Amino acid sequence: MNSILTTNIIEITSSCKACDHCISHCPADAIAGRLGEQHHIDYSKCLNCGQCLINCPFGAIHDLSSVEQVYEALNNPALTVVVQIAPAVRVALGEEFGLAPGTNVKHKMYASLRRLGFDKVYDTEFTADLTIMEEGTELIHRVYSHLGLEGYEDKGPLPQFTSCCPAWIKYAEDNFPAILPHISSAKSPQQMFGPLAKTYLAQKLNIDPDKMVVVSVMPCTAKKYECDRPEMIASGHKDVDFVVTTRELARMIKQQHIDFLDLPDENADKFIGLSTGAATIFGATGGVMEAALRTAYEILSEEKLDKVEFEAVRGLAPVREASVDIPVKSLNTALPVNVCIVTGTQHVKDVIEDVLAGRSPYHFIEVMNCPGGCINGGGQPIRRDTY
Amino acid sequence: MSIFLEREGITRRQFFKGAGLLTITLVAGGIFAKIGIDIFKASDKYIAQRVQGLYDLDEKMALRRSHENPEVLQLYQDFLSPGSVSPVSEKAHHLLHTRYGKETAVMMDELKHHAA
Repeated sequence: MNSILTTNIIEITSSCKACDHCISHCPADAIAGRLGEQHHIDYSKCLNCGQCLINCPFGAIHDLSSVEQVYEALNNPALTVVVQIAPAVRVALGEEFGLAPGTNVKHKMYASLRRLGFDKVYDTEFTADLTIMEEGTELIHRVYSHLGLEGYEDKGPLPQFTSCCPAWIKYAEDNFPAILPHISSAKSPQQMFGPLAKTYLAQKLNIDPDKMVVVSVMPCTAKKYECDRPEMIASGHKDVDFVVTTRELARMIKQQHIDFLDLPDENADKFIGLSTGAATIFGATGGVMEAALRTAYEILSEEKLDKVEFEAVRGLAPVREASVDIPVKSLNTALPVNVCIVTGTQHVKDVIEDVLAGRSPYHFIEVMNCPGGCINGGGQPIRRDTY
Repeated sequence: MSIFLEREGITRRQFFKGAGLLTITLVAGGIFAKIGIDIFKASDKYIAQRVQGLYDLDEKMALRRSHENPEVLQLYQDFLSPGSVSPVSEKAHHLLHTRYGKETAVMMDELKHHAA
């Protein structure tokens, strides 16, 4: 194992009843322990995804928390604390306040962050749109390179895998180093936001980046590991300082006695806060693919799509495939683009082996670690609803 | 053969006693099994509801394509590729792209070099 793990995020506490339920949810086979004995995590395999945590019937699994450091930063008047919030949080945060799953609380969520004392409130959806621009362009370059067009030599192999999910990235690094050149070099939306906040935004707002703290609110425990990766220092500082989960944000709102349901509707701040519907669906499995198809189709065909929905990539099955014909104006031909969507890292092995054996029919493959996508991430409200 | 002839079978009272005990055991067992199954197989209906929440929100958005986001276009114009909208520019490559596995060490050397 050539794991480059920096921090162990997930911990099984002594309340473990050794029921083995977590083992059935672990995508990486990282939990060991005999029936009747407290289980333990093999950190060389753990992806930090937290699927064990949200599915533990006894609440015996915990994640590393940075809430105290966030409070400290908020209480320090010398620091400008900016916050980004991920797409999947807005349809789950309301559950902690008694609303039904899927209720959109986007605007109250921005308001609650301001009440908590964050100086500037932004949206990770902005960098999700940016991810589509970067990752989509990279895909187009790889396709051109594959077709042998001049000026596009050595742009990287096909198919291209998405790179938004830190648990999937760690799985590939640990288990399939040969697949790494296939993964898009674009950072995840969270890690694109960090360096932009500490360069572009700091310039626009005239703030010293040394005095800026970037906090993310994420539906994910693996994002805590991602922001601690040693190479995430492109801005010259630690790009994203702290990550809190949806659950931790709800706890902070309750601790500060903010009446969440009574908050007014507010919007994100300007420069890096505006977003489109294509970024919103990043939180669902198939969403990155659909957003990429919308942009790739319109840019390559130079036509407007009448219907922006690509129903074929939607659904909850662990492995789905679709094919879209994109008329490429500059080449004067229609290009069939074969795509594949995997949700649940335990299902990706066969897809990777096909790619490595050279028999994969796909051009673009989306992989999300959690079943259903980020909306079911390890940092989301825990639901133990029974039938 | 006499053993069969001599046998009188069970009385009506014994039959009800046995049947009653059997019923209670089965019902109680069923209830405990149901509780167990519920605990270990919690409903995952919430996954579909949250996914639907995002699709509904997408439909309500004024803009629905990433390349139409005016702040993204402004970011390219002002900062990443001054004067034009060209993704994967040198600056974008430095800030927004990364490398994986063993190559991260190489990348960190480059970042330190860039800073110095």
